[in-house]
Amino acid sequence: MLKSIRHALILSVITLTTMTTGHAFAEPLKVVASFSIIGDFAKNVGGDRVDVTTLVGPDGDAHVYEPSPADAVSMASAKLVLVNGLHFEGFLQRLVEASASKAAIVELTKGITPIDFKKEFAEAEGESHEGHNHGSTDPHAFQSVVNAKVYVKNIADAFCNADSAGCDSYMANAAAYTEKLDALDKEVREAIAAIPQEKRVVITSHDAFGYFEHEYGLTFLAPQGLSTESEPSAADVAKLVEQVKQDKAAAIFVENISNPRLIEQISVETDVKVGGTLYSDALSKADGPAATYIDLMRNNIKQIKGAILGS
Amino acid sequence: MKHLFAAASIAALAASITTTSFAEEKTAWRLFVSDHAEPVINVVDALTGNKIDTLPLKGPASLYRSASGRTVFAVQGKADAVSAVSTGIAFEDHGDHGDIEVTAPRLTGTEITGTKPSHFVEHGGEFALFFDGEGVARILDEKTALEGGTGVREVKTEAPHHGVAAVFGDYVLSSAPNREKPDELPVGIRVTDRAGKQIGNIHACPDLHGEATSGRLLAFACATGLLLVRDGDNGPSIEHLPYPASPSGKATTLLGGKGLQYFLGNYGADRLLLIDPSAKDMFRQVDLPTRRVHFAVDPIRPRFAYAFTEDGQLHQVDIVAGKIAQSVKLTDAYSMDGHWSDPRPRIAVAGDRIAVTDPLKSQLHLVDAIGFARTGDIPLAGKPFNIVAVGGSGETHATE
Repeated sequence: MLKSIRHALILSVITLTTMTTGHAFAEPLKVVASFSIIGDFAKNVGGDRVDVTTLVGPDGDAHVYEPSPADAVSMASAKLVLVNGLHFEGFLQRLVEASASKAAIVELTKGITPIDFKKEFAEAEGESHEGHNHGSTDPHAFQSVVNAKVYVKNIADAFCNADSAGCDSYMANAAAYTEKLDALDKEVREAIAAIPQEKRVVITSHDAFGYFEHEYGLTFLAPQGLSTESEPSAADVAKLVEQVKQDKAAAIFVENISNPRLIEQISVETDVKVGGTLYSDALSKADGPAATYIDLMRNNIKQIKGAILGS
Repeated sequence: MKHLFAAASIAALAASITTTSFAEEKTAWRLFVSDHAEPVINVVDALTGNKIDTLPLKGPASLYRSASGRTVFAVQGKADAVSAVSTGIAFEDHGDHGDIEVTAPRLTGTEITGTKPSHFVEHGGEFALFFDGEGVARILDEKTALEGGTGVREVKTEAPHHGVAAVFGDYVLSSAPNREKPDELPVGIRVTDRAGKQIGNIHACPDLHGEATSGRLLAFACATGLLLVRDGDNGPSIEHLPYPASPSGKATTLLGGKGLQYFLGNYGADRLLLIDPSAKDMFRQVDLPTRRVHFAVDPIRPRFAYAFTEDGQLHQVDIVAGKIAQSVKLTDAYSMDGHWSDPRPRIAVAGDRIAVTDPLKSQLHLVDAIGFARTGDIPLAGKPFNIVAVGGSGETHATE
């Protein structure tokens, strides 16, 4: 009897130890997020179970990012790599090759209906000639909160595939975060609805807000096209200045990832004052106004409303 | 009538055939090899080993290729001239593919003269040639060099010295000489705008020697560390990164990583210094088995760089792991004793081939970059010394 009790106690200890180890000391799922907005989504869905390394950090520009050997080390040890896709991360292929990473690469725009880039820029960037037609798809899908929910779902699915033991937790986190995104979507719609129709034209540095425009009905004009990599020509800028004068843009904004000089020049030439900073392709640093995706969207609508209607 | 219709249809068909365009994949790699003693550049087809041409110069040259690969510059220090060569290989980026055009290599006619040309720096599509004997940088763009033009803009420094300059957007960064001892290495970097006006103070960089570009960063090697230059909101943003406390050393030659953003420098005779400004541990050292003769980065496989050591070995350096991955013996020993510019091997990467000059054996040795094994030799008269490679693959659109 004593022997049986002792045996039972030992079993209990082993079971308890195993369970404790399983939850508290399990190695977190190593995840690489290509840029800060995806990093924020991943942390919200993964919680403590994931260890997220973000490649293009706050205020960083993924269009022109140059990966480092340290990034290759992170990629090599990751189990999952979360990327935007739609050719947003031009550096991805060479980083995957340099790192010899075996990680699963998950494109978070899967399931989103891509929109074409605005015609004037599609012609410039996806130039056609001699039978080639390169086309051009806008990769900035995260600028619509509706799409952000698709990113979150894709992340939860990817985490479940990689770590089935944590699936319930990932799904619960994703559901809770999606509720916040629903509320955010409502806030954005209400903010835009408060702006008179004739004042819904603004200017930014590069055309990162096509999905925002598509979803919420605010027109964005930009001197730079799809990517910040290409410098606008003098003719592009002159064309935009003319367009601004015709369309009577209500406000003009710099972006956190772009040099403000061009926007300041357009502001002078059009007599439209710079209304503030919009966060386009990256979050702000932790002490900034857009340290999370939700704060980013709130900051942007606040800036837009403030500049057009007055604070 | 029926015959006429048939004839017209055949003619239409023939017309459609004659205007059909076929895209074919083409690969071309060329090696440009200067001689240690003779004023020539030998141009070699890296794929066949055949010599394509020999281009005459005024003096033995150090060679530098442009980022685009369209131009090679021959810096002839003893002949007070820098000549431009059209490599004959040009690419046009079409987004989803690139077209390649291959023509004969040729001297373009561009010859920039001045006393003691030394450092050549390309940044943002502009070339800055520094002439030590005058303390002047002469700046031109690739279009000028390919068209045979000689129009340059000049940036003057305070005194003749062994210096360097680099264009950085609307600014020029040039070395500030040691006023008391101009024969010694420069003491800092001066930033000037397009009008030649100095912006801010001189950025201290004692014993400045060595510069490189990687990604969007430009770096200068100093006795105390690196000056790292980034694009700031109001012109260049310059930061000093001090070397690690131990072991002591300094870099005097820098290379910039391609595909990955890092710098690779010498650091003592038998060591390389890997610099990743984004990493917590910015500096990593790679020990070499013997003294280093030459080193180069791989522009195609970003993970690797190569170092040649005086024991005749070529080493594959794993940039991510920070260590030598593989080695292959290629030549007899080349001692680093003697004059710094004695004829010794140099490295260039031509696609999947690594070419190493062996000046005392009048050969180029080829190493397969994938398997890292010696695959062949190319005989080349004289003392083949400096070497650069240009080329790649692209589509050609033959119209029939």
